[in-house]
Amino acid sequence: MKLHRRTMLRGAGSVLIGLPLLEEMQGKQAFAADAQAVPERAFNVFFGLGIPAPLQEEGFDGVLEPLKPLADKLLIMRGVDHVRCDESGINAHFDGASASFTATPPDGEAKAGGASIDQVIRKQFHPNGLPQGVVPTVVAGTFFRRSRVSRFVHSYNEDGTVAATMQEHPRNLFERVFGRIDVATDDASKRIDRSVLDSVIQQYKFYSGNRSPLGGASRTRIADHLDRVREYERRAYQQIEVDPRAPQLPDASSLAHGGAADPGGEGLDMHLDDLVREWRLMAELYAVAIELDRVRFGSVTFLAAGERLRMKGDYRYDNRLVYSFNDAQELGKSGSGGCSHEWWHRFQPQRDNQQLRAHAHMKMREVGYFLTLLDQIQDANGRSALENSCLTVSTESGDGRHNDVKRELSGVFHAMSSAKGRVRTGQQIAVNAEGIDVYNTVLESIGCEKKLGPQDRPFNRVEKILA
Amino acid sequence: MRWIRKRFSPAHCQLKLSAYSKLWTTACLILMANALASPSHSQQPSLPAPIAAFSFSESTINQASGTVTSSANSFALQLAPIGAAKPVSEPAVLLLRGDGFLSTKQPAEKLSRAIRSTGAVTVSLWCEPGKVDQSGPARIVTLSLSPTERNFTIGQDGNRFDVRFRTTKTSANGLPSLSTPSGTATRSRTHLVFTRASDGKTRIYLNGQLAAKGNANGTLANWNNKAKLALGNEVTGGRPWQGKLLNVSIYDQPISQPQVAMLFQQGHNPKPISPQELRLAKLEQHFRQSVAPVVAKNCLQCHDPATAEGDLILDQDSENFRELIDVDALAENPFWLSILNDEMPKDRPPLQADEKQAIKRWLEDDAVWTEGQIDPADYQYNAQQPFFVRRLTTPEYIRSVRAAVGIDIAKAAKTQLPQDLRADGFQNTAYNLTVDLNHIETYNQLAKQIVAQMDVLAFVKPFGHRALLTDNEMRGLIQSMGTQILRGPLSDQEIDSLRGISTSVAAAGGDYEAACRATLQALLQSPRFLYRIENQDRRGAAAFLDDYEIANRLSYLVCGAPPDAPLLAAAKRGQLRDSDNIRRHVQRLLASPQAIEHSEDFLSQWLNLKHLDSLQPNEQRFPNWTPPLAAEMQTETLKFFRAVIWEEKRALTALLNTQYTFCTPRLAKHYGLSPQADGWQRYDLSKVAHRGGLLTHGSVLSIGGDEASMVTRGLFVLKELLRGTVNDPPPCVDTSPVAATANVSAREISEKRIQNQACGGCHQRFEPLAFGLEKFDGLGSFMQRDHHGNALREDGDILIPGTAKPLLFSTSAQLMDTLANHPRVHHTLVWKLCQFAKGRPLTSEDAPFVTQIAKQAAENGGTYQAVIEAMAVSPLILPGRRTP
Repeated sequence: MKLHRRTMLRGAGSVLIGLPLLEEMQGKQAFAADAQAVPERAFNVFFGLGIPAPLQEEGFDGVLEPLKPLADKLLIMRGVDHVRCDESGINAHFDGASASFTATPPDGEAKAGGASIDQVIRKQFHPNGLPQGVVPTVVAGTFFRRSRVSRFVHSYNEDGTVAATMQEHPRNLFERVFGRIDVATDDASKRIDRSVLDSVIQQYKFYSGNRSPLGGASRTRIADHLDRVREYERRAYQQIEVDPRAPQLPDASSLAHGGAADPGGEGLDMHLDDLVREWRLMAELYAVAIELDRVRFGSVTFLAAGERLRMKGDYRYDNRLVYSFNDAQELGKSGSGGCSHEWWHRFQPQRDNQQLRAHAHMKMREVGYFLTLLDQIQDANGRSALENSCLTVSTESGDGRHNDVKRELSGVFHAMSSAKGRVRTGQQIAVNAEGIDVYNTVLESIGCEKKLGPQDRPFNRVEKILA
Repeated sequence: MRWIRKRFSPAHCQLKLSAYSKLWTTACLILMANALASPSHSQQPSLPAPIAAFSFSESTINQASGTVTSSANSFALQLAPIGAAKPVSEPAVLLLRGDGFLSTKQPAEKLSRAIRSTGAVTVSLWCEPGKVDQSGPARIVTLSLSPTERNFTIGQDGNRFDVRFRTTKTSANGLPSLSTPSGTATRSRTHLVFTRASDGKTRIYLNGQLAAKGNANGTLANWNNKAKLALGNEVTGGRPWQGKLLNVSIYDQPISQPQVAMLFQQGHNPKPISPQELRLAKLEQHFRQSVAPVVAKNCLQCHDPATAEGDLILDQDSENFRELIDVDALAENPFWLSILNDEMPKDRPPLQADEKQAIKRWLEDDAVWTEGQIDPADYQYNAQQPFFVRRLTTPEYIRSVRAAVGIDIAKAAKTQLPQDLRADGFQNTAYNLTVDLNHIETYNQLAKQIVAQMDVLAFVKPFGHRALLTDNEMRGLIQSMGTQILRGPLSDQEIDSLRGISTSVAAAGGDYEAACRATLQALLQSPRFLYRIENQDRRGAAAFLDDYEIANRLSYLVCGAPPDAPLLAAAKRGQLRDSDNIRRHVQRLLASPQAIEHSEDFLSQWLNLKHLDSLQPNEQRFPNWTPPLAAEMQTETLKFFRAVIWEEKRALTALLNTQYTFCTPRLAKHYGLSPQADGWQRYDLSKVAHRGGLLTHGSVLSIGGDEASMVTRGLFVLKELLRGTVNDPPPCVDTSPVAATANVSAREISEKRIQNQACGGCHQRFEPLAFGLEKFDGLGSFMQRDHHGNALREDGDILIPGTAKPLLFSTSAQLMDTLANHPRVHHTLVWKLCQFAKGRPLTSEDAPFVTQIAKQAAENGGTYQAVIEAMAVSPLILPGRRTP
């Protein structure tokens, strides 16, 4: 496995933290013992606002152009239909986004209708937890609209709750994956701290164990807590040398996050360069985490469902100026009315939709950036991490105008990697099938016993996507 | 087929429950704690309904298997004959000759839990002892594990009746027992009642007369759920009772002597309920659980009283509906055919197969309609969703630390703990209170910070143990200190776990103080500190509450904080089963500062006041906007709330039309009021008719954004004040706010939307609710014309969900009065408080309890305090209780 340390240096900041010795960590990979054994991985890659169906038809000649270099590594699917989520009265943005990787309608403002693809696979292969050193699930992203969790979180447990806390600052992601925890240095204090932790662990074990007085969902929640405590314990007490050449902790983000990022849905001024800088740092950190086998499951979000940004800046691709963004000026409005979101509302198939095309193209460039990073990671079986992962790219339905006007959740853009050669990549096809069948076909090919959605639902295998 | 209309009066419901008890429990045991807890069955009977009833007939006892299983919506236990338990020829008598008895094969766990949940029990039985020299005591009715371990046993010991009842103050064998006087057990047919109140008082009545009284103090915390129920012998055999048993009824409450007398008067063979009545009860259940949700979800958008498309109203049992289905065959029923053929719901996805089946079955079974009016808001959330254990929110954590060890950790906790995210309207929604590594690290760090601020030796001293690291002293300290910090007694396993810390300290050369310090750190990270751990059933609902769990529920309900010393003491004494005691404690807690803090948490989350922290209005449009002004808007609302709710103790609905507010000079100027003295001042608005009440606060008005969106404001009133429901817009709708322009005001744009055929159906439900607010701009300033010069209006009409006739208003003040005086608003505010109290969205299962709470609170002035008090004695908060 080749380590791309360079990817860590792009966002180098000033604060040195104790990052475990990277080479040493490489040697401690859970699958290092067997050179040919590559772990199952699954990632959900989400981008906001989607791609209108007619533009998807244009393939790599249109807004999908940035994915062309990865054409052989991806299966691009049109006509994936989340009809079961297309209930009357749902909200296309956050309800539709909730369905993106679960194929089920939401069950609350911050709760999906069931597990996402990555979590089904995680549970199948690691029912009793991930190997030591691997973070169970990492959810990260660069986004700003945040009124509902399902706008930006895209990894869900079987009970529909979020699979992990969103890391929305690169620095948070860095600390979540690589951070070490300071503990007492003298032996006596360390011993006492350990005994405190041991007691805490015993108590959580009891309340998540067979004799727990708690119900199923509660027990699972306590078990999650216990997992985090154990992770804390490993980080605090694992004897790992600090690499003096280690990458540095990224600078604190200069972009708005938290509540400040979403002033009442009114949108945010954003320069393209700022957005791309932060996103790419996030993408690079996530990719390194995968490369070092610290992450096998989770989701990555590039812009939220229904994202509202007033974008400025020159957008270039392949040494050409694609478009000079200035949404607010072009739309002639401030607030939400001046956001790029409006270009989706204005989409008309018979028009050129210049601004929407440019924004969607840019999103594909950035999604492609992350995918390319994964494609540069070579696993022991000779394939890249992209090829070895069950990586699903999807999006919300947007406002419906960009797809079948009668069914706003139909035809949402989907792409997949080959999942160790199980999925037939290198093609763009009109699947014209329900998303739940597409996803379950993939899960079946991976060997998952559980499916998405109701377990008693008749399963319609989608053979055409399989290798 | 004739379609008949049947409604159930409360009295009828009670009759129905008796029917369950009698008919479906022949030779089997049925527990109906859940059903009985429903307020729909709340009318107090002259006699309570048993949670289990047990009678006998030849047909059932002689079955090959000897068991009967109920299909009722209640849980059943199978009683199987062991040996030769035979009925005699006399109807409905179980003859026990010492060679056979009845016993459950499995533990009667739910029976034990039901009784534990109330701490009270009554057993009523009719019997004829076969002889007066049997002893052991000979078991007549027993809920036990072995000859030496029981929950309770009613037996005969010679010529006395003898009752053993286990509590934390008795032996595992239930000793000392309570016996009737010598000579009271004869071979005559006898009515025996044993009753134990939650305060420990025990009584035995024979044939309606008091025969013995005593005390079984302590609590039922040590009851064993593995106990089996047996009649006529010990569960393991060896203690046979000989005689005839005519019936046995078990109640989860004490009964009074007059009630005992009534039972005696009823005799041993009360009138059974008819099969027809039983059938109706089952139909009611089907309607409530399977039909009403389908109607609410699929039909009421077009067929509520306001819309009534096709002149058909489906949220209630309307005449038009009855006429529509008044046909002889289902195949001719136009209502059914429209569903079967997917014509209805119109232009919407058809019903699922199981939904159609539920409707079909309902129509075939006489279309019994038992809900007065179906409220679609009751069905917004899945009633079968699992319940999650509640992690303390940050404010709860802060108050819990303060109560446990007296340290204020607010500043550090607010900055270091990850933010609790809002879901379904509140930040305390349990399913969304997940944990991340960051939580663990922060809890660890905070525990160290807290202990570092403590004078540990002074803290542990009052617990009364010697400052030694010996096992006895440390275990004792851990139990007493842990009881305070973990809000209830510790198990041996927990003490073992925590005791290991002090041994490690000793091994590391540490002293007593270091041991206490480390133990405190562990306690502050315990699941029992960071979560509200309770006994739950598989779904996560509270299975039963012990006394400490009741204390915790009450305290977090009122204060969002742990129980204080008096409440813990009451829990220890088992005094929290009594409604009067509960009320006294709740009233006491309501006088504490924590209760006010907690109520302000509710207000802040309900109104999402934190949105003001990130408000960024257009600078050109609102040049005077500054972040401090936003902070003052938040403070205004909190001060107003505190004055109305806590100082004047006015009704919750007065929040909508009280004619004063609190301002700084800057805020007053923003509102167009004449600034008074510096700092916060109370501003009388009695002569400023347009302003007064929450809806005129900048904190609320600013939710509509720069353009003061009618849609956003209207939806706020609909959802937050009227508990209305409306679907999100259909595909192809541009939902971006349409701004007013020169010559076209926001009101005119809104009215066009309402008149639009595609939009009006929904928008007419909520946009008019904002008409009375049009004169307030996006940041709450009042004006007669907008910035384009368009004249603004404040008249309009509002449609209350579930009604057909809009209510007119000509000024915003009238709108506020209309809202404040409408019972729907009171009910909505109670609903919101109940959701906040439960930490989860409420469902149709909760709705009857909320209605009951709203009713009781309204009868007591409709104040916040009245709502909390009503909640505290409601099964919504204390499951297993009967509605007062």
